Amino acid sequence: MAHSTVGSLEQYNYDIVKKFTIMAIFWGIAGMTTGVYIASELAWPFLNFDTAQITFGRLRPLHTSGVIFGFGGNALFATSYYVVQRTSQARLWGGSLWPNITFYGWNIAIALAGMGYLMGITQGREYAEPEWYIDILIAIVWLIYFVIYTMTLLRRNQPHIYVANWFFMSFILATALLHIFNNLAVPLSFTDTKSYSLFSGAQDAMTQWWYGHNAVGFFLTAAFLGMMYYFVPKQAGRPVYSYRLSVVHFWALSFMYMWVGTHHLHWTAIPDWTSSLAAVFSILLLMPSWGGMINGIMTLSGAWDKLRTDPIMMFMITSLSFYGMSTFEGPMMALKSVNALSHYTDWTVGHVHSGALGWVAMISIASFYHMIPRLWNTTMHSVKLIYTHFFLATIGILLYITALWVSGIGQGLMLRAFDDYGNLKYSFIETVVFMHGPLVARAVGGLFFVTGMLIMAYNVYKTISNAKNNPRIPTNSATAA
Amino acid sequence: MSKVYKDPITGVETTGHVWDDTLMEFNNPLPMWWIWTFYATVIFAIVYWVIYPSWPSGLVEKGYFIGTSEITYQNTDKKGTTTAQTTHWNTRALLAYEMQNDENELKRKKYLKEVAAMSYDDIAKDSDKSSFVRSYGKGIFGDYCAACHQTGGQGVIGHYPNLVDDAWLWGGSAAEIQKTISDGRKGNMPSFAKTLSDTEITNVANFVLSLSGTEHDVASAKEGKLIFNGKGGCMACHTPAGTGLAALGSANLTDKIWTQADVPHAKDKVAVVSAVVKSGIQREMPTWKTRLSEDEIKVLVAYVKLLSAE
Repeated sequence: MAHSTVGSLEQYNYDIVKKFTIMAIFWGIAGMTTGVYIASELAWPFLNFDTAQITFGRLRPLHTSGVIFGFGGNALFATSYYVVQRTSQARLWGGSLWPNITFYGWNIAIALAGMGYLMGITQGREYAEPEWYIDILIAIVWLIYFVIYTMTLLRRNQPHIYVANWFFMSFILATALLHIFNNLAVPLSFTDTKSYSLFSGAQDAMTQWWYGHNAVGFFLTAAFLGMMYYFVPKQAGRPVYSYRLSVVHFWALSFMYMWVGTHHLHWTAIPDWTSSLAAVFSILLLMPSWGGMINGIMTLSGAWDKLRTDPIMMFMITSLSFYGMSTFEGPMMALKSVNALSHYTDWTVGHVHSGALGWVAMISIASFYHMIPRLWNTTMHSVKLIYTHFFLATIGILLYITALWVSGIGQGLMLRAFDDYGNLKYSFIETVVFMHGPLVARAVGGLFFVTGMLIMAYNVYKTISNAKNNPRIPTNSATAA
Repeated sequence: MSKVYKDPITGVETTGHVWDDTLMEFNNPLPMWWIWTFYATVIFAIVYWVIYPSWPSGLVEKGYFIGTSEITYQNTDKKGTTTAQTTHWNTRALLAYEMQNDENELKRKKYLKEVAAMSYDDIAKDSDKSSFVRSYGKGIFGDYCAACHQTGGQGVIGHYPNLVDDAWLWGGSAAEIQKTISDGRKGNMPSFAKTLSDTEITNVANFVLSLSGTEHDVASAKEGKLIFNGKGGCMACHTPAGTGLAALGSANLTDKIWTQADVPHAKDKVAVVSAVVKSGIQREMPTWKTRLSEDEIKVLVAYVKLLSAE
């Protein structure tokens, strides 16, 4: 094909993709290491050392922001900029200036927010902890991201917009909407870090969880499906299983997700009908979510043999399996009767991590292993280390979620157990004593996962330095594709 | 780009779109099991919607769902009249229903009623009822008492009395403990900083230590005894023998049990006792009869007696 002979290294803006990729790995290691530390604090509380700045309460948002916005965010910027260029056969809009503004703006926002958490500066809204001044910075960065993305799509040399881009676009639009409305707040003054939410009471809670769940829906699901729709067929060398399924499940997913946030507030002081509505939409969301899993796994049909020989493919198939499992578990937990047991226990935390580690992190890791050699026009330093990474990550996740099923379901059952006299059988502290073992196992699981990330960082470092020391002459995109 | 590709394995054709050299899409139909499972979730959603009403369908009111989604509970209005009320499913009605009908709640109420009708002695002799007191008492003690007296009832020296030893400031009989909990107590010892000199206070402290056989300065204690029974007037509350009076809540100074000065752990034992004499004591336990029912207080009394007996 005529245009594909143009050297992709010159045709596309790979510099920005490289920057975001490296920062994603950096934040991944930083955020996950913090995660292992706070998991250890839960198992061995002395690790708080009576120091306010490193207590669980302050480090926890550092962990969540670090992995969601630091690792996930940078991974999405990197892959979306890569995918939109390659599937539009057009260079990224905005020269080097505007994409660079999104890079520095985004990473400075995360660093500033993280430092604030340690000092106790927070809105106290889960996953939306940054205060008003960082929120404004994020909103500006996001607007620029939207413009860059849209303008690049308009430049495309293709009649159709590839499915991955639909998902990335829905992620960019929905995140803007969610971020702006959930962070409507009045600062005490323009020189004060503190602000107060525009909403109060049940409305505030429902706005927060409309945001909170759609952060999962559009940031951690739709966007990573975009990643999946490019890298899985590319790596498998097979066409996407069903175009029709991708259209139907895209619109169904986008429509259904917006309604379900209130299931985070079951059995609290909200109107009953809102709670029922959230439960119902969560069930309706099951099949639209699975559409992505089916399309991903079925794309592999005809290339099953690759699972024996390609560790990147193993990452992909495992991530799709965890995606399917956690999008089944989620709707179940959103039913009021199940939620009565699971809510406020580690089951919720385990569920989130089967999605976050199993789905989000594994599909990102797979995409990086596919993308990095192409960005630097080389091959990965060691395929064996990719295998090692895969097994460490998989063992880590399995340990992690199994431990928290035991901890969460166990605590839930203990909290509702009655003795022979009609009184509660266990006090809260007795449930905590029970949880100690599983919490230790969870920290160990997390350690496995971080170790895998460190191996990846080493492997990527060696790959990049090899590429710099032995530059290859860029030929055409056939070698880079 | 447009190029239709036919899969050699399945025979399915692609849509003809090609991106990035190799990206294509098969024109496979939606999997039938996917569609039918989706329809099943729609049916589930509609049923759930009716059973946990999200929309005023009127179906529950017409009696279509008797036994599934309606709840009947006993409602007591402001005038005190109790009537049966039937409503569509909602969390308030569910709570009311469960508090009135749950098996465990009924069991607890039955035990409470039986214990309320028994004497403390009979409760202590009945192992089943004692176990109930231990189980129910642990919860209400944890809710209302443990904030000061601690979960195990061991108190905090200098602030809140220990309930697990045998010493009782206000008396340890069931009737006395019941009065303490119901009405609360105000403990008051005046400050002697202005009425006694530092030497005199040291002397009194030595005498107080001698009462329990704790190490002390014998000569100083001899002087202190004169002040205890004379100028200081300590014997008025603590009695000349130092055994205290339950009616006044004055401490027994002879039993080696300390609630204010941490004598057992202090290096300078005279100093910690002197400090108490100097500053005096003002402490108060609130009244609980306005917040707890008679039956709950009864269980608490029995529970506290069990604690001290262990």
